[in-house]
Amino acid sequence: MPRLLATQSHVVHGYVGNKAATFPLQCIGWDVDCVNTVQFSNHTGYGMDKVFGTLTKKEDLEALLKGVSELKDYNALLSGYLPNRESVNCMAEYYSQMKKENPELLWLLDPVMGDDGELYVNKDVVPEYKALVASSLVDVITPNQFELEILYGNKICNVSTLKRALAQLHETVPVVVVTSCSPTLFKDPTHIYCVASLRNYGAVVCRVPVIDSYFTGVGDLFSALLIDRLFHMFLTNSSSFAEEVNHVLNVIHSVLEVTLELSPKNVKAAMGSPQEMKEMELRIIESRDCYEKEEMEHNFIYKRL
Amino acid sequence: MAKKVLSIQSHVVHGYVGNKAATFPLQYRGWDVDALNTVQFSNHPAYGHFRGFRSTAEELREIIEEGLVKGLGIKYDAVLTGYLPDVAGLRTIAATVTKMCKNDPSTKWILDPVLGDNGRLYVPEETIPIYKGILEQGEVFLATPNQFEMEILTCITIKDYDSLKRSINKFHELFPRVKYVVVTSVSIPELHDHSFLSACSDNKAKSAHYFQVEKIDAHFSGSGDLFSALLVDTLLNDENVTIDLPLALNKVLSLVDSILQNTFNIVSNETSKRPLKINDLKLIESRNLLRGEIKPRYKPIEL
Repeated sequence: MPRLLATQSHVVHGYVGNKAATFPLQCIGWDVDCVNTVQFSNHTGYGMDKVFGTLTKKEDLEALLKGVSELKDYNALLSGYLPNRESVNCMAEYYSQMKKENPELLWLLDPVMGDDGELYVNKDVVPEYKALVASSLVDVITPNQFELEILYGNKICNVSTLKRALAQLHETVPVVVVTSCSPTLFKDPTHIYCVASLRNYGAVVCRVPVIDSYFTGVGDLFSALLIDRLFHMFLTNSSSFAEEVNHVLNVIHSVLEVTLELSPKNVKAAMGSPQEMKEMELRIIESRDCYEKEEMEHNFIYKRL
Repeated sequence: MAKKVLSIQSHVVHGYVGNKAATFPLQYRGWDVDALNTVQFSNHPAYGHFRGFRSTAEELREIIEEGLVKGLGIKYDAVLTGYLPDVAGLRTIAATVTKMCKNDPSTKWILDPVLGDNGRLYVPEETIPIYKGILEQGEVFLATPNQFEMEILTCITIKDYDSLKRSINKFHELFPRVKYVVVTSVSIPELHDHSFLSACSDNKAKSAHYFQVEKIDAHFSGSGDLFSALLVDTLLNDENVTIDLPLALNKVLSLVDSILQNTFNIVSNETSKRPLKINDLKLIESRNLLRGEIKPRYKPIEL
């Protein structure tokens, strides 16, 4: 039974961060150890005046990571939203040490910094992620386009710059999956574009029809499902990279379908409206049987980059 | 619509006790579990050493009252409370949950009065009167003491069927507001350690039943937390069905026994020695057991 250590946020109600990642991974056979970097009543999309809870203090986070790193029995490491520079630094230190001791570990880093041109962590977090990405210890990163631009150091306005950015990141990171590209990049506002690139394999462009609603936690679910597929791909030396990404997108598509089906009609989940946000939480539990499915209904692979 | 439970217990990063033992089984059985973690430890104390921290009573109260109840207006079908970190936390959480249940009588409080086990108290002495007060005045729907806790709460030593029955009667007498009680595991000399009893009683019907269950010869950390979580499911899962406590308990005993047996087999295969102390339930490996209708295997006997 594979074992994963996940360091990200915990919300009591709803499904983002560790709450979005844990149950799906458990359903497909992972023992998931969660280090919670925060404990909040709900995610911040409800409006900041509706969020209660605490950040895990640096010394507490350190104690937890030290405690579990001594157990030495992980197959994979995952990190998502971390609230500040200290917590990123702390995760980096212990994850790096574990990876050095056991290079077989698969490490997926979601460099959560912001979206759509807006940084939602303090800017002193940026150099921490840049250093980690350059360390050659991380196996997979899952930035959105904004985060990719930060890591690359330049704006990405066209496909050729995107290729250059991927090539540069591949110098230190074997797998780069850009979870959502800006709609201008492929000049098609009706789809969400995801570009997945594996060193010495090339990049594929996947596209999924846009669903006109605001979902939170999709990125966290994505990285959780991706680490599972890639773990098994590397384990079996398979060259099914594009299929693995397509599989992840299929599962997510099913979860969003279940979510939409169970939500009241006409609710689009405006940010800051607690009642609407509550209705649009991912239906992670009701989607239980989506995670194990092997067959893929859709082919989201669009073309090679 | 998935049923909603607020589960207020400890969190361990590694292993399956407290909320880690309760959450996945309930989720797999279709519950939306809002897990409020009272502590965050690297692993549970049975490992010998652990690291971590506790949340303060005020932090927990604020999350529940300001966040979940007032801010989001969430209606819970059940609140499950297990191990709480300290006396202040216990008092605050009890007051908060009592208020929740008073404001919404459809919210059922399942309380595991965690005091100790096998003759050993593992909370401060002053916790005892607090639990007695909660059971007396709170809005507890179901309490799930083990034998040791039942003996402390009722001041009756349980050594045979008769004293078990007297203890249950005394419980109802002392705590008439508590609708149901399940005494999770009782060992009495005449069963010679081969099996244990699990008993349940309904305050209103004044009828008590027990089951005799064969023991698996090992100690499992987290089995009590798994037990109370699954009771939430078997007791409250079905819509429009009247509460059948003996059936609910029977199902939980059957399912927990299968999970413990599966855990025991997996751990036995991993080690050459016969395991006596099992730190981590194999919950993920047992997920297929959690699927679908649970078949009750034991015979209810009137006490």
